[in-house]
Amino acid sequence: MVSMNAVLFLSFLLFSVGVAGVLIRRNVLIILMCVEVMLNAANLNLVAFARHSGTVAGQAFALLVMGLAAAEVSIGLALVVALYRKKGSVQVDEINLLKG
Amino acid sequence: MMMESSISTALSAPIHSSVLWLIPFLPAFGAMLNGATGRRARNPKLVDTIALGAMALSFLVVLCCFARLLGQQPEGRSLNQTLWTWFSLGGAHVLGAHGAVGLTENTMNWAYKFDPLSGAMALLVTGVGFLIHLFSTGYMAEERANGTYYRYMAYLNLFVFSMLNLVLGANMIIMFLGWEGVGLCSYLLIGFYFDREACAIAGKKAFVTNRIGDFGFLIGFFLIFMVYGATDFDTLMGMTRTILARPEITLFGYSHAPTWWFNLIGCCLFLGACGKSAQIPLYVWLPDAMAGPTPVSALIHAATMVTSGLYMITRMNFLYVNAPVALGLVLCIGSLTALVAASMGLAQYDIKKVLAYSTVSQLGFMFMGMGAGAFSAGMFHVFTHAFFKAALFLGSGSVIMACHHEQDMRNMGGLRKLMPWTFASMGIATLAIAGIFPFSGFFSKDEILWKVFEGWYQGGHALNLLAWIMGMLAAFMTAFYMVRLMVMTFFGEYRGAGQDPHGLTVPSLVVHAAHEAHNAHDAHDAHGASHGHDAPAGHGPREVPWNMWLPVAILAFLALVAGFLNIPHSLHWIGSSHFSEWIAPLLFQSGPAEAAHEAAPAMEYLLMAVATLVWAPAAMALAWWFYGQDPTWSRPRAFVQRFPDLFRWVNAKYYVDEFYEAAFIGPCKQLGAQLWAFDSLAVDGMVNGAARCTLMVSHAAHWFDAKVVDGLVNLVAWLLQQLSSGFRRFQTGRVQNYAFVMFLGFLVFAFWKFLA
Repeated sequence: MVSMNAVLFLSFLLFSVGVAGVLIRRNVLIILMCVEVMLNAANLNLVAFARHSGTVAGQAFALLVMGLAAAEVSIGLALVVALYRKKGSVQVDEINLLKG
Repeated sequence: MMMESSISTALSAPIHSSVLWLIPFLPAFGAMLNGATGRRARNPKLVDTIALGAMALSFLVVLCCFARLLGQQPEGRSLNQTLWTWFSLGGAHVLGAHGAVGLTENTMNWAYKFDPLSGAMALLVTGVGFLIHLFSTGYMAEERANGTYYRYMAYLNLFVFSMLNLVLGANMIIMFLGWEGVGLCSYLLIGFYFDREACAIAGKKAFVTNRIGDFGFLIGFFLIFMVYGATDFDTLMGMTRTILARPEITLFGYSHAPTWWFNLIGCCLFLGACGKSAQIPLYVWLPDAMAGPTPVSALIHAATMVTSGLYMITRMNFLYVNAPVALGLVLCIGSLTALVAASMGLAQYDIKKVLAYSTVSQLGFMFMGMGAGAFSAGMFHVFTHAFFKAALFLGSGSVIMACHHEQDMRNMGGLRKLMPWTFASMGIATLAIAGIFPFSGFFSKDEILWKVFEGWYQGGHALNLLAWIMGMLAAFMTAFYMVRLMVMTFFGEYRGAGQDPHGLTVPSLVVHAAHEAHNAHDAHDAHGASHGHDAPAGHGPREVPWNMWLPVAILAFLALVAGFLNIPHSLHWIGSSHFSEWIAPLLFQSGPAEAAHEAAPAMEYLLMAVATLVWAPAAMALAWWFYGQDPTWSRPRAFVQRFPDLFRWVNAKYYVDEFYEAAFIGPCKQLGAQLWAFDSLAVDGMVNGAARCTLMVSHAAHWFDAKVVDGLVNLVAWLLQQLSSGFRRFQTGRVQNYAFVMFLGFLVFAFWKFLA
């Protein structure tokens, strides 16, 4: 039986990797993947707490998040395609139209 | 005067006629139709049909009206039609019927009046006009090809419309409308070949010269309106006695007897007549007007338009009879013009120029007659002159055409056998103008000369005797130059086409023949028989087609017989003076009809016999002796060598044109140049100065706007930019930076929450 702390620590690691990826990487695709990683870290937390409390609400919520993530990725990828068509690149440091 | 009928000059109820308007308006419709559609007419005969049809119908209407007139009593012979009110004058400041200057209402009607005088003139205008239209269909055949033919026909119809307005107008306004209209058409037709500079200049000269006359006409017209307060002829004539009865008339603060004002008006109107009818000093335009097509010279500058001054004076006879000074002026100017113009005609070589000076001279005869108070004699000469001069002009047109547009008589000759119809017609017309019995010119011209002579013989002014002497000299010259013209043109051998045995020809001045031949080439395929200039070297002149010689022959016939319409009293055993009796109701009667003029038939017989048996034949024989008998013209040459200066002066028309150029036109041009200089320096300078000032002010305003106003706005923007420069750095535009800041904020928030 894996301890609760271990799971939460894994979840923390996963989330940290996701945040670091979103903040550091320049490629939009990788940023999207890191967002997925962050979502799944949250899912891991939900599932862990569900087992700990002996209810299924958390698991159900994890399923809902996965569905949400799928929708998010589809929209995100569509935006990436549009972006690529417009700029010929998917590097976020080249997209600075809001620069003052 | 010369009438016996009643003194009550007949203001009996005028007869209304509803067809009068057709007489002038039919040609107007023809002009409009041809002018608007003639250019695109597929069939060239359509233009002919419209133009000639309008003339023929108009002539027929005139005939009907004339017949109706004949059926009336002499005093009632007047058909009237008022079409509409042209305009109303509220409160014109005129004398009017009360004899004091006051405000009156006046209505100017578009009205026509067909009475013996205007009816006879309308008959002349439409009848001779129709013949000349017919002649034009042949003479202007070349213009069919270059597309200007319809324009010519439209102008010609428009001219007839204007002329009919002039003669049929029931008041002075309509008359003035026609007066200006004929001037315009004259200008258009003289300058018909406007691509040739000489023609355009001649048209301009005619127009400007006529403006000088029209100035006088208008002043006279205004004075009449101020004195009478009316413009229609019936009223004017009817009021004359009332006005004459006044002790004095006050206008513009000047008080004078009515006769004084009548003299003034008469002189002003006569200035207008001088312009229109080519009298000294305004005759100079008529010889130049020969630049127009020859039928135009016949219709406008010989038969009709130039007689409008005489028509006007006859119309205004009620005024002239009571204006002895004006009438004396008419007599002087008329006789002087008759003599001077006839002498100019002696030494011209251009066939049309001879006829032009002849016309001026004959018009002088007519004015001379009117100046002697013989209005009906003057008017009768208008008619006979219209016939024989139109015949002469049209005949000269045929000759010019047959000789390939040659107008110099030295390059003609011998056409008698080649053009028999033209020769016969022009021969009759020549005898008529020379005054040989029984041709029409004898009756009309000798009547005028007798009336002038009678004026002195019956105890009148010596001026009449002087005028009569001048008239007799002019008559002598007339016979001379006409025979000279006939001999040079029709007798001897043909001197064109290189045949010149005696070395008489001169280098041809035919400047336009090549140009027209080029344009007319197509026309000759269709009208090949019309004349000979499609074959320059081949055959010489030959007779013109029927539509050209027939009108000339008809006119010559009329010139032969028309004289019998007005037989002088002394020859009453031949016939009676129909014409004088015909227009007598329109002549103002100042007193009872004269019985005196029956008193001296012996003297009249003597003068007539001398004139027709001795005087004119002597002149003709002299011309024959000079030019006909000796085909080498050695006699005129010897004469010229003997008196070179005399010939040079006469040939140069006494340098009148040059004198006018130096005395009037040059100074006018100089004045114009000075006015132009003033205009361009002072007036334009002011305008340009204002423009420059505006420019400078606006430059300053622009500087203020650009530097100060825009500067302030830009300063605000610049300040904001400077202030905001520090904050701009935060806005990197990179999403990840924003996300990182958000993340840091989250971390701070989280630590603060946990630590607190």
